[in-house]
Amino acid sequence: MTEISRSIPGTAQPVDGLDIDALRHAIQEEYSTVATTPEQGFHFHTGRPLARLLGYDDRWLDGVPEATIASFAGTGNPFAVGELQPGECVLDVGCGAGIDSIIAARMVAPGEVVGVDMTPAMLERARASARETGVTNLDLRLGFAEQLPVGDEWADVVISNGVMNLFPDKLAGLQEMARVLKPGGRLQIGDILVSKTVSQKDKRNVDLWKG
Amino acid sequence: MTATVVAAGFVGFEITWRADVFGGAPQASSAAQFGTVGINFRARKARTSEEWNAAVEELSCAVA
Repeated sequence: MTEISRSIPGTAQPVDGLDIDALRHAIQEEYSTVATTPEQGFHFHTGRPLARLLGYDDRWLDGVPEATIASFAGTGNPFAVGELQPGECVLDVGCGAGIDSIIAARMVAPGEVVGVDMTPAMLERARASARETGVTNLDLRLGFAEQLPVGDEWADVVISNGVMNLFPDKLAGLQEMARVLKPGGRLQIGDILVSKTVSQKDKRNVDLWKG
Repeated sequence: MTATVVAAGFVGFEITWRADVFGGAPQASSAAQFGTVGINFRARKARTSEEWNAAVEELSCAVA
């Protein structure tokens, strides 16, 4: 299906000449800093003020450690797109410090949530948060969006927040999401939209990917 | 973005919200330079290849 998919007009193509290892390293470095010293300030908003800006209900954050909330760095609100139902299986791609995974775990219990992130420092923060909040239906795994450590057709819903724009190959990342979703499964994503044309030179600029 | 989401196997793509989520951030951002906004969107994995083919066909008509 990939060859057919790539030939569909308007489909995002991989960026020629982009150093993917350098990009991943830069992203891991940036988000490790967000996880460990969120108070330093970034080119994006973070924490509770951001959650409010994005329409998160304060009740969703009850009991979530403040250090974890401080590391929140989403760009949208996957829960505003559609309700999660008890018993559903949810995959959170790029779960970061784990706020969305914890919110989802509470919404779908006794259903299950898997959170995947490629940044060890963020996963460490997310695991500590899960322990502190007492959720038992959340499994946090290290992995890349393009190779999700989840079986075929496991999820009823895939959520993600502020992550898809960092995929070096957006079609490959979305196809992975499709692979793990059941037929008819829902995609509920917060991300960004760029309205101006980005040159190939700029697309190869790792610093611009970060902000 | 619609084409990429559909190409990956989804149908029913819809952007449900968009807003400036970078304005006033602590550090300078290239977001404004590129007209970047935060969005929420949804889609659904096609239930059958026929449903997906229909979505691709619809997309092709829209592009044409």
